Amino acid sequence: MVRPIALRDRTLYRTAVIRHGNAKTDGLTPLFQAEEKFVLGETTTQRRKNMKRIGLLLTMTALAALLAAGTAAAEIKVGIMVPTTGSEATYGKDMENAIKMAVDEINAKGGVLGQKFTTFTGDDGCDPQMATAAASKIVSASVDAVVGGYCSGATLPTLKIYSDAAVPIVIPAANSTKFIDLNPGNAFLINSIGTYQVETAVGLFKKLGVKKIAIVHQGDGYSEDLASLTQKEWTKLGNEVVAFEVVNKGEQDHSALVTRIKSKAPELVFWTAYYADGALIIKQLRQGGFTGKIAVGDGSTDAKLMEIAGKAAEGVYALANPLPEFLGEGQKFIDAYKAKFKTSPGPYSALSYDGMYLLADAIKRAGSTDKKKVTAALKATQDFKGLSGPVTFTDKNLLSRSNFVVLVVKDGKFILAK
Amino acid sequence: MTILDIIIQQITNGLILGSFYSLVALGYSMVYGIIKLLNFAHGDIYMVGAFVGFILLSFFSTFLGDGWLGILPSMILAMTAVGFLGVIIQRIAYRPLLSAPRLSILITAVGVSLVLFNSVMFVTIGEYKAFPSGLGYEGITMGHVHITYTQMVMVGATAVLMIALHLFIAKTIYGKAMRAISIDMDACRLMGIDVNKIIALTFFVGSALAAAAGVMAGVYYGSIHFFMGFVIGLKAFTAAVIGGIGSIPGAMLGGLLLGLLESFGTQLPWIGTEWKDVFAFGLLILLLVFKPTGILGRTEIERM
Repeated sequence: MVRPIALRDRTLYRTAVIRHGNAKTDGLTPLFQAEEKFVLGETTTQRRKNMKRIGLLLTMTALAALLAAGTAAAEIKVGIMVPTTGSEATYGKDMENAIKMAVDEINAKGGVLGQKFTTFTGDDGCDPQMATAAASKIVSASVDAVVGGYCSGATLPTLKIYSDAAVPIVIPAANSTKFIDLNPGNAFLINSIGTYQVETAVGLFKKLGVKKIAIVHQGDGYSEDLASLTQKEWTKLGNEVVAFEVVNKGEQDHSALVTRIKSKAPELVFWTAYYADGALIIKQLRQGGFTGKIAVGDGSTDAKLMEIAGKAAEGVYALANPLPEFLGEGQKFIDAYKAKFKTSPGPYSALSYDGMYLLADAIKRAGSTDKKKVTAALKATQDFKGLSGPVTFTDKNLLSRSNFVVLVVKDGKFILAK
Repeated sequence: MTILDIIIQQITNGLILGSFYSLVALGYSMVYGIIKLLNFAHGDIYMVGAFVGFILLSFFSTFLGDGWLGILPSMILAMTAVGFLGVIIQRIAYRPLLSAPRLSILITAVGVSLVLFNSVMFVTIGEYKAFPSGLGYEGITMGHVHITYTQMVMVGATAVLMIALHLFIAKTIYGKAMRAISIDMDACRLMGIDVNKIIALTFFVGSALAAAAGVMAGVYYGSIHFFMGFVIGLKAFTAAVIGGIGSIPGAMLGGLLLGLLESFGTQLPWIGTEWKDVFAFGLLILLLVFKPTGILGRTEIERM
């Protein structure tokens, strides 16, 4: 951020004024003029006053330093890296709240190793550049560990900064497949990476007992990946993908697609992209008399899907990240969260909450806040019981199994599929 | 599904799609015919129509239900309201430029389009809105072919609107005045025709038809958003050119042809549905090269 020149001038001017004790407030006197006054106009009393001020300031700084030193020994400092400004700020705030809630709960129970947690938030703004700045700030605040990372693109470049400082980071939301190769070893992902969804999807299709499926995507990186990976896995099992279709984003009329799909007679249609177009396709499939099953990827798991598709959405299967409302202990979490923050938890709140608890658990197991030991303890996590399911890491520090859940639409609402 | 099933189903699909294209194309053609303006804001008029219909139906559905009983008054009122919007746009943005070079007024039309869809985006925060109609999927099933009653009503309503428009143009004094202005505006002025009033009327009718298409699209597809007018605007323009821009039967024919072509083109086994737009715009290019006047268009005689 570059402040406008006028503003910077004003600050300079003000400091100058304060320094020589001349409280001239009207207009903007150029700096050099103020300095000139300082040299020419300062009296002994003014100087004495200034000395007193400096003395007071020094005492306060010393006190603050003492305070900081005194508490540092008994506290574990956790860095939180989430976007608190910009387009993703709501999600970031939801995550920060959940982490702080976990910290408060742990502290209320006496903390870990007799030490309490404090937090330090850095705003990554969902932007790679802001994120690296935030990470540097977090590292120089000498944190013991970090919980955070919502946007994959912003989180990836920070990994090196943390690994250089040997700081372990638990990532609750970001889930790009790029983490597999770019992870220096100190990052732990507790959200399933994108491709895990394929596993859950194929599992669902098997359970539904279908053989012939149609897959429709939207041509963007995310939905195409999901579609082609699902196709690969499905055909590997000896099943058939009778139609593999692409639709244009924002297209309203999908009647041609519906006829094409119907002519291939699949037992299930799998839509891998987002709800806005997904709802239209579901609606038009039903309008066109398609009676088979329909499943959608996590991009479509949104209340708007039912709102737009209406009755047609009934019985549609939807894959989703573990949202608190569908988890065993979830309701307790939602109630506590609502009571504390007067708002509903966001989609990644439960995972963030889990991330903080996982970190506390790892520090307990490590028996120290030594960063290397904590990292090793995180790596050794075995079936940690989080809200969103058990956590065990692979050798790439990814979840050992998919945490995606399968929902089904019933009476205009998503419920957990049996 | 047999080949015959697919053909019947695609004819239905094509007719539905074509109905929307035709209704919007009519507005393009009428305005072009009368003041030689390609009104690029016309697609956005369609979008505004859908949103006005959305607001009205949300209101009417509380006491008339979300079936046809609520949809019909919403549609008629939306047509009227958007018709007046068209007149206002014409008055503010186009009339002052009628004697300016054609390019100025064309650019103004693009500007109007931007203003319209950005305002709607601002009001709706860019969200998709679910159209509150509660029409079911009941219909006639013949083998694998399924045609809903809603689809039949859509095609029927389009036919009624087109016949009404045809009678209006062919039989009334206003229609006669429109046709006269499209031939020679200055002569009409000399003959005592209130040219500005007739131009305003043309905009009213064109915009009302687009609004009708917008409301029907909302009812049929179930979701509307601020950008829905863009693609259909281009498609309708293509339809108008196919039929011969300036010609009213041409716009009707062009829309239906384009709808059918898109439906059938995407059924070819080696071409996916994502090629739909390529068909439409490919045809536009071919037509502009080989028969720029369109199927029913007249060859323009340069008047000096």
